[in-house]
Amino acid sequence: MLEQAPLALGLAAFGCAIGLGLIGFGAMNGMARQPEAISKLQIAMLIALAFVELVFLLTVFIGVPGLR
Amino acid sequence: MEFLSNLTWLIAAGEAHGKGEGGKQAAHALEMSGLMFYVGLVALIIFGAAAVAKSGLNSKFFTKPLTKLFEQLYVFIQGLAIGTIGPHGRKYMSILFSLWLVVFVSNVIALFFPTSPTADLSFNLALAFIAVGYVQWEGIRANGVWGHFSHFAGPKLPIYLLPITLMIFIIEIISEVMKNVSLSLRLYGNIEGGHRAADAMNVLGQDLLIPFGAFLLPIKLLTCVVQALIFCLLFAVYLSLVTHHDHEEGHDHESHGEAAPAH
Amino acid sequence: MSQIEAKQGPSATSIIGMIVFGAILMVAGFWAYTNGSFKAVEGPLADQGIPLAFGKTIASFGVLLILFKVLHIFFFAPLDEAITNRTKELEHTFGEAESLRSEMTQLKSDYEKRLTETEANAREQIQAQIKEAQDLKKELMADAQRKAEEYKQQAIAEIESEKRKALTDLRVHVTNLSLQATEKLLTENVDNDRNRRIIDDFLATVEVKN
Repeated sequence: MLEQAPLALGLAAFGCAIGLGLIGFGAMNGMARQPEAISKLQIAMLIALAFVELVFLLTVFIGVPGLR
Repeated sequence: MEFLSNLTWLIAAGEAHGKGEGGKQAAHALEMSGLMFYVGLVALIIFGAAAVAKSGLNSKFFTKPLTKLFEQLYVFIQGLAIGTIGPHGRKYMSILFSLWLVVFVSNVIALFFPTSPTADLSFNLALAFIAVGYVQWEGIRANGVWGHFSHFAGPKLPIYLLPITLMIFIIEIISEVMKNVSLSLRLYGNIEGGHRAADAMNVLGQDLLIPFGAFLLPIKLLTCVVQALIFCLLFAVYLSLVTHHDHEEGHDHESHGEAAPAH
Repeated sequence: MSQIEAKQGPSATSIIGMIVFGAILMVAGFWAYTNGSFKAVEGPLADQGIPLAFGKTIASFGVLLILFKVLHIFFFAPLDEAITNRTKELEHTFGEAESLRSEMTQLKSDYEKRLTETEANAREQIQAQIKEAQDLKKELMADAQRKAEEYKQQAIAEIESEKRKALTDLRVHVTNLSLQATEKLLTENVDNDRNRRIIDDFLATVEVKN
């Protein structure tokens, strides 16, 4: 358990990074296509980012005790 | 500045971690008096800025820099509120702006002081309670007590599907509780995570006497702004979910009417 | 749960109630924190790495209630009012400017219409004048040509008549001279008429030869 916990955290970060990247990718595409909708897209993007980040934070809070 | 205090604090904290004082592992959490000191500091900063900005208020043209700054913030958050909640979002400007200010000032304090209120999960939980509680209050005010709680039960189903309605109700209640948890944990995780990351990088440079953690300051500043924004944004989204229904017809027509010529 | 703001004009009781409620919560939070009332919940959470103290949460809740209420009264209400007033004023000014602009556009279009009308009128008049002038010129030229022709004809006729008169005079003169000469030569009174006719005839033949 102790040895695997950092690796698990790394995996969680990996997935979170992919998710954030996908959101950023989609938002950028949308912004490039419709520059007039940037404000709406940004808000939606931030909400999505927050949710993806939350998953990682939950993982950390569940996983960190394993590090100790 | 932060990294110096971090450095000394880190060593003490690390030792405390190592010993693991009687199962109480959360050594970073503030004592009550410390939390109140930081909350007072935040309040002091906000009130100081507000007092200066207030003296520059007039009905023509704001010339004081702080007043202008507050005006810009106001317009920004107003845009956010109207974009998320709808045209009646201006009603909630006061609480939205208050939340934004408290979260943002607390976050920024984290860059100059060893810790900050928002790096304490208990304080964040209080903020989240305020936000979600206000949402409930607004929902009750907009839809009535019965309407608000039947809103949790999902769509109207026939009486023989009562178990499903009950299940939806329970799930919705859990999700309401989870809103608190997610709001507070997100803020805490981001701010405290930034601190921990800075600490860890300080440890890397401890032998070289290079505060690597200080190089994280720009990204921490970005986190401060974005987290304050996200807190307000999610609060606005929750508000819009609750107050949307009774305004739906009229405003939807309005917005369609406005949007139609643009396309 | 309790509310933060009163929508239309915060009444004094609601403000005081809020502040008292917040203060009670603060005291309760302190009490709970010092007495460790929530240890049963906080212990397992702390083991999970979640540093949560509900006493602090309750106290912070009270503090935030008071803070938000006071902040609303102290700053946001005036700010909101000021910005709303200014927006109204700006809208008013913009509306005025808009109406003025539309008026100006109206005036400008009127003016332009009149200008084009005047221009068309002037052009028409100029055209008419030019045409008239051209007609006049043509007429005058024709007139002048005719007159010139007349004068020319007259001059030719005059020249002809003068020539004829001169010729006649010359002939009379020559005849007289010849007669005088003949008279002197012959010293004899001859019937003038008959002689003159003879000489006329002779001269006519001479003329023909010439």
